[in-house]
Amino acid sequence: MAEPRFFEDIELGDEIAASQPDVTMENVKRFCHAAKHVFERFVDHDAARKEGFPGAIVPGIMSQGLLAAMIHQWAPGCTITSIDTVFRGSLIVDSKITMTGAVTDTDETKRCVELDLAIVAEDGRTGVIGTAMVEFPS
Amino acid sequence: MESGQGALNLAEVRENWVGIEFDWATFDMRTEEMVEWAQACGEEDPRFVDPAHPDFQAHPGYTTHCMSGRVLPDGFPQIGGGFGIDGGKSVQVHAPIRPGDTLHATTTIADVFDKTGRSGTMIFIVQRMEFRDDRGELVSTVDWKMIKKA
Repeated sequence: MAEPRFFEDIELGDEIAASQPDVTMENVKRFCHAAKHVFERFVDHDAARKEGFPGAIVPGIMSQGLLAAMIHQWAPGCTITSIDTVFRGSLIVDSKITMTGAVTDTDETKRCVELDLAIVAEDGRTGVIGTAMVEFPS
Repeated sequence: MESGQGALNLAEVRENWVGIEFDWATFDMRTEEMVEWAQACGEEDPRFVDPAHPDFQAHPGYTTHCMSGRVLPDGFPQIGGGFGIDGGKSVQVHAPIRPGDTLHATTTIADVFDKTGRSGTMIFIVQRMEFRDDRGELVSTVDWKMIKKA
């Protein structure tokens, strides 16, 4: 795990370092197994193409989970109290996708911050945008 | 921005359907699936991947996979075209979910609205699932936005 990050360390505009999560077919299948979410469009490139996608697509709920893990990596020990993601476009399995985040608000009383989140596809399209509220321990 | 005529039609739908409960289900929380979910998401925090951790719990969005048996209530009016696409999910984490918990979910229509942009008018139907543990404590709320073409 990363070094601890304290609420006092956070400033408006701070960015979470961009990272590239594992969306290989093997890992997406693993997620789908855990989620009981085994639809062909997620785990079979050919089947997804027959549905009109460029290839198998990363489940939307997995993209939200990837962002949550990124937040925990950025601020170990924090608590995500809400996370809201909008699925704007397909993220393709076995491609290179990039996650980013930035602090858009801070609340000293509640020791919480608001984050803007995004995942960009390999071709530069924005696949997911979102926000999260994150509380820091006292 | 909201469209004039569409907003008028949807006002009646909202009046009749928002807040109506239409599905009830239970879900058992299992350690192996909670760990597998978190690991596949790249999680390294032991609270989510180590069952021996004293604060072991489900990943924040874990309840998003708990699908309701029905997408819409019986008798819900046919508005918009087709089945609709998944527009996203919003999760509120009220309390940790532990392995062995049985969650009791109720599903309601939380909102119906439309927006008009360059590509035309889209209708948003927000389905809300509230998850309570065996003690009746609210642990998670998931809002799912279904988007349909008007």
